[in-house]
Amino acid sequence: MKKRNSPNEKKVQVTRERDPIPWRYCLLTLVCGLLLVVGFFWAARQHFSAMDFGIRNAKLREQKKSLEDEQRRLYLNKEILLSPAEIKKMAKKIGLQDITSANIEAITAEPKSEKKDEKTLTVATKKPEDKDKAAQPKDKTQKDAPANTRPQIAKK
Amino acid sequence: MNKRKIKQKNDPVQTIFSRFMLIVAFFAIWIGVIGVRLVHLQVNQHSWLLERALDQRRDETKSKMLRGSILDRSNRALAVSVKVKSLYADPQEIDDVQGTAQKVATALKLKTQEVASTIQEAKDKKKRFVWIGRKIDESSVVKINDQLKVADLKKYDEPKFKGLHWKEEQKRSYPYNSLAAQVIGFSDLDDYGKAGIELSQEQNLRGAVIEKWKDRDRLGRVYEESDDEEREPPKDVVLTISNSIQYKVEEALKEGVESARAKSGMAIVLDPKTGEILAMANYPTFDLNKFSEATPELYANKSVQNAYTPGSVFKLVTYGSALEEKLINPNDELDCNNGTLDIAGHIFNDKHCLTKISYINAFAISSNIGAIRTGQKVGKDKFFNFARQFGFGEQTGVELPAESKGILRSPEKWSADSLASMSIGYEIGVTALQSAAAFATIANDGIRVKPHIIKEIQQEGKTVSTTQVEKTQVVSSETARQLRQMMQQVVLKGTGKRAQLNGYTSAGKTGTAWKYDEKLKKINDEKYISSFIGFAPIDNPSVVIAVILDEPQVAMRDGGHVSAPIFQDIAQQILPELNVPPDGFVRQEIAEDIIEGKEFKSDKNDKSSQKTTEKTVEKTEKENNSGNPKMTKNGNPDSTVTKAKTASIETKPKNETKNKSSGKGKT
Repeated sequence: MKKRNSPNEKKVQVTRERDPIPWRYCLLTLVCGLLLVVGFFWAARQHFSAMDFGIRNAKLREQKKSLEDEQRRLYLNKEILLSPAEIKKMAKKIGLQDITSANIEAITAEPKSEKKDEKTLTVATKKPEDKDKAAQPKDKTQKDAPANTRPQIAKK
Repeated sequence: MNKRKIKQKNDPVQTIFSRFMLIVAFFAIWIGVIGVRLVHLQVNQHSWLLERALDQRRDETKSKMLRGSILDRSNRALAVSVKVKSLYADPQEIDDVQGTAQKVATALKLKTQEVASTIQEAKDKKKRFVWIGRKIDESSVVKINDQLKVADLKKYDEPKFKGLHWKEEQKRSYPYNSLAAQVIGFSDLDDYGKAGIELSQEQNLRGAVIEKWKDRDRLGRVYEESDDEEREPPKDVVLTISNSIQYKVEEALKEGVESARAKSGMAIVLDPKTGEILAMANYPTFDLNKFSEATPELYANKSVQNAYTPGSVFKLVTYGSALEEKLINPNDELDCNNGTLDIAGHIFNDKHCLTKISYINAFAISSNIGAIRTGQKVGKDKFFNFARQFGFGEQTGVELPAESKGILRSPEKWSADSLASMSIGYEIGVTALQSAAAFATIANDGIRVKPHIIKEIQQEGKTVSTTQVEKTQVVSSETARQLRQMMQQVVLKGTGKRAQLNGYTSAGKTGTAWKYDEKLKKINDEKYISSFIGFAPIDNPSVVIAVILDEPQVAMRDGGHVSAPIFQDIAQQILPELNVPPDGFVRQEIAEDIIEGKEFKSDKNDKSSQKTTEKTVEKTEKENNSGNPKMTKNGNPDSTVTKAKTASIETKPKNETKNKSSGKGKT
């Protein structure tokens, strides 16, 4: 029987031939890994950016809503001020009166008010030295004129 | 061994590669494990985790969209809702109840002890919500926030005070305060309509409940929120009311009620062609912004909810039906039988009509015997049918809540003298709107247009629906024309002289009825309902105005004296506003008649009365103020007229119908 490995034979170290390093795959893995990392960063950035936009958007919405509310309040105030009762109140505050027969009678006393107007005009055009003189009561007519003289309304 | 080392040294790239692969494997396994874990979390524990996450970051609130507005015919707001805030406390978050109560009470001007007890009570009951102050306007909210601010407190929402939060609500505001109060109605603290249009149009006006959410980051900043743009906004209700006309009517009514010292008054302005109610006023009234301070009796819109005895105003139906059936001619004469008429043992007296008188004049002076005789010609069934056709005894269908249909019994339930009583406007109950609508029928050539108060429904400024009017021919145009002429005579020569207008022609009918006294259980001849319903101008009526005063207390308190001047006041103010061209003049004879207190004698002066003069209204006004000297001392111009069993049907005791006493009947 023949020995397979005879002692005479020189032992030869058998080295397994290694496969060549798959540089392409390594590179691909690296690139994928990098892409993944970049992707993560990009996603994170997008996320925080979205959050930021969301916060800004919410603030703008809030602002829009408060402005709309304010607009509605102003609309209500406008309506209140335009109500006939309010206009009447305001008109009375500035001295206007309701049209009554008494008012119509008061208008008939036009010559008196005309006289008064003339005198007022005279006072206004007088020189400063005459000021004291002008300040004194002019005549009985002016003295008797009602304190709350109504604004002139054209006689119908 | 050495060889191996040598070998390794000889192949460093291989080593690097091996390590690299080891790292890759590690990461792959790591990612794999994470992936498995993620799958487990996302699939198996998804809902539980989602709930937890939302709980951490999400604020969920329920709020109502702003209630729709009520607008007048020119789109001017009569009722508007605005956003306000309400302050509430979470008692479980509050440690120092007394201290919190003190601060809150100072800011909100409340009583400390009350606030403290409210919070403490809720805390003891483990409640997490208790109202502190409701519906506070924006300016006050800012002040309160400043007052309650705790500098070093980390809290994302206002006020910066532990345990206190704001909740958004809405507040109903009525810019015109008391204007058309009973028509508009009001809504309660929870924004539910409780009266008037607010109640009847609840379905349109109500704002949908919206569930809102807001996602907050760890700093409390909102970064995402729900979108409520898709929600259907509430609708706005546009009324036929004109705020300007309504104001004028209310002012005139107030003045009229006060000068007549009446208990209350109603006034309606109606467009006879379209059926639009331009104004509907009740006096006394109340401020809608302070409705809780008013007595509940004032909430009722008496113009549609209360039935009253119309009195002579109802003669319109009597004469209208007779004319339509061609049973009478306005110029035909009837015999007043010495001013006494016995109907089934019930004696009706009429001092105004003693001998013969034409129907037109009988109507003008509001003769009771004339009306009774006319009614008898018509007959029970036809009279009843005409009354129904004019809209009595049934709801008008106006878009207002709790409308009364009035009282109109079927002929089977009438007594022997019911027809006579009804001919002069007793034994029947009508609402002011029914009466106004009946007169509008005549003003509109016999065509009855269903009165309505809602013009259209809008949504975001766009019209989504418009009220369609129903039209019914009640009497022929010829009958309507004849009735208009008869009503013109009432104003020119009859009981309604004070309804004459400066610059416009007018027509109408006065009515004065005794009231039934609930306490006395019989007619009280001290209490009247005085009315005047008319229209102007005669040829092409633009408005029908009904004025009804309840229990006027002045000496002359019949419809012609207390209600007709209000009609005049209203008509003269609103006709120019409606751009109605003047068609009439102040007639000297008539004006003088009023001033001198002359009663109507005959219609011979008709033509002469058409002469135009430059008489001013002042004279008429003077006359109105001075009163009519020819009236009787007790202020009852018709006191000579028989006091009938009368009274409103709803109030009249049955046995009274058999009463043969010569009771008086108001005209």
